[in-house]
Amino acid sequence: MLLPILAFDTSAAHCAAALLLQGRVIQRLEPMERGQAERLMPMLEEVLAEGGIGWRDLRALAVGTGPGNFTGVRIAVAAARGLALGLGIPAVGVSRLEALAHGLPRPLVVIEDARRGQVYVQLFTPAGPGPAHLADRIVPACPATGSAAGPGALPPAMPLVEAIARIGAERAASPQPSPAPFYLRGADAAPPADPPPVILP
Amino acid sequence: MDRTLTLLGIETSCDDTAAAVVRAPAGGRPEILSSEVLGQTALHEAYGGVVPEIAARAHAERLDGVVAAALAQAGVGLEGIDAVAVTAGPGLIGGVLSGVMLARGLTAARGLPLVAVNHLAGHALTPRLTDGISFPYLMLLVSGGHCQFLLVKGADSFQRLGGTIDDAPGEAFDKTAKLLGLPQPGGPSVEAEAASGDPDRFRFPRPLLDREGCDMSFSGLKTALLRARDALVAEKGGITVQDRRDLCAGFQLAVTEVLATKTARALAAVADQRPTALAVAGGVAANRAIRARLETVCARFGLPFVAPPLRLCTDNAAMIAWAGIERLRLGLATPADFPARPRWPLDQAAPALLGSGRKGAKA
Repeated sequence: MLLPILAFDTSAAHCAAALLLQGRVIQRLEPMERGQAERLMPMLEEVLAEGGIGWRDLRALAVGTGPGNFTGVRIAVAAARGLALGLGIPAVGVSRLEALAHGLPRPLVVIEDARRGQVYVQLFTPAGPGPAHLADRIVPACPATGSAAGPGALPPAMPLVEAIARIGAERAASPQPSPAPFYLRGADAAPPADPPPVILP
Repeated sequence: MDRTLTLLGIETSCDDTAAAVVRAPAGGRPEILSSEVLGQTALHEAYGGVVPEIAARAHAERLDGVVAAALAQAGVGLEGIDAVAVTAGPGLIGGVLSGVMLARGLTAARGLPLVAVNHLAGHALTPRLTDGISFPYLMLLVSGGHCQFLLVKGADSFQRLGGTIDDAPGEAFDKTAKLLGLPQPGGPSVEAEAASGDPDRFRFPRPLLDREGCDMSFSGLKTALLRARDALVAEKGGITVQDRRDLCAGFQLAVTEVLATKTARALAAVADQRPTALAVAGGVAANRAIRARLETVCARFGLPFVAPPLRLCTDNAAMIAWAGIERLRLGLATPADFPARPRWPLDQAAPALLGSGRKGAKA
């Protein structure tokens, strides 16, 4: 565990941060539809101040990489990369699905609302996580959690951003790739319909 | 601030991920220590234009690497940087946000000032970085996303005399290339074809030339080109290589004449304010036919024609670092909670050219 670690997430209609210190966690969650880009850095400084430490005392960063709101995910990931570059410490990406599963018994399937009549699904067995994917509605064959898991859903073991911090602190002990948005859904773009003209000799 | 300033600049407002380091001694000539630009042409090629979501995705994953490369190339670490300047708009908001958030993280980590820069101001102030020209001067900013005449009176004082009311000329060049099966970006490929074409075979419209003022329109030109192409296709099932050259030449001449005529009008309109030069910026300013005509117009008015090198005419971050230096020298503060803005006209007093309503003018 690499502590202290600062974690944050703006992948949905919220701005959330958690500072994990030895034996202590300080966190904030503010629901907001927009304004995360302006609110995130002040919120991080508030959490650091409450923990009685400064930027230079951090040993790692963790950031929620989605899936979720594309722009929201990029806001947090870009900030994490800038902070990591400036502080010379690792930043670890943690997916929303991994964070939701953290601290719950296995086997477990995480089913999150992906809008447009679809869900994000990932199965976690005692052996480890399976691949995450986008699906139409599914009926879980094992205990489930998540916003689209239905009436029998298990409640999460802890707030999302705290889970991101805890997973990040474990992972940061070994080298990690730079955090990258985890979209699970392609960019909406179609090649143009009109073909170029025939070029005659 | 009367001391040497070394700024890191960041630019992500369209499809170039860019970072640069610029150093300016007090009263001395500024020096570009590095200017890294990572383009995305290949990512957007299949779509016939820049796809905002694809651009945003690329910026978010590439920018920190480009910043590190610019610092390494400049031979200064972050400890040698006095402030960070970042494009805060106008542009594709996903990319702008990626740049702004990376800059916020970097400056928070290092305890550095952050300067929010208008992308258009970056272009408009570039002739002072490259040629050290004095205020006021007339700027024709002509690129894939913008087309406007600005009287640049100070680092934070711009008077817009007019601009396009629809497409930008660079966009028209790209669409022309697409309609004629030429590779992107359209500017260089259309120019190359036009060089061996007959500009008088197809007579394309010169919109708004009969109208007073410096406003321009280029969307009708694209439609006229499409009609001419379709007439040829209907006649013989395709277009010949020579047809294509002639279409390109006719199109380029129409754009050139509109820009030259409106430039003359803009120079006449600001003559009493004694501009020091006509300067150009934007990728379209690289077109040799357009450049030659603008030089002729300048000569008529007895004014120097200033065209920065192409790599500083197209999107880059050195211009953003430089605009940041100019703002710091004036003591202009950036509020910590400045917004990233898809729309941000340089001249807030001039009526909106493009876009209106709740979100306000684009330019």
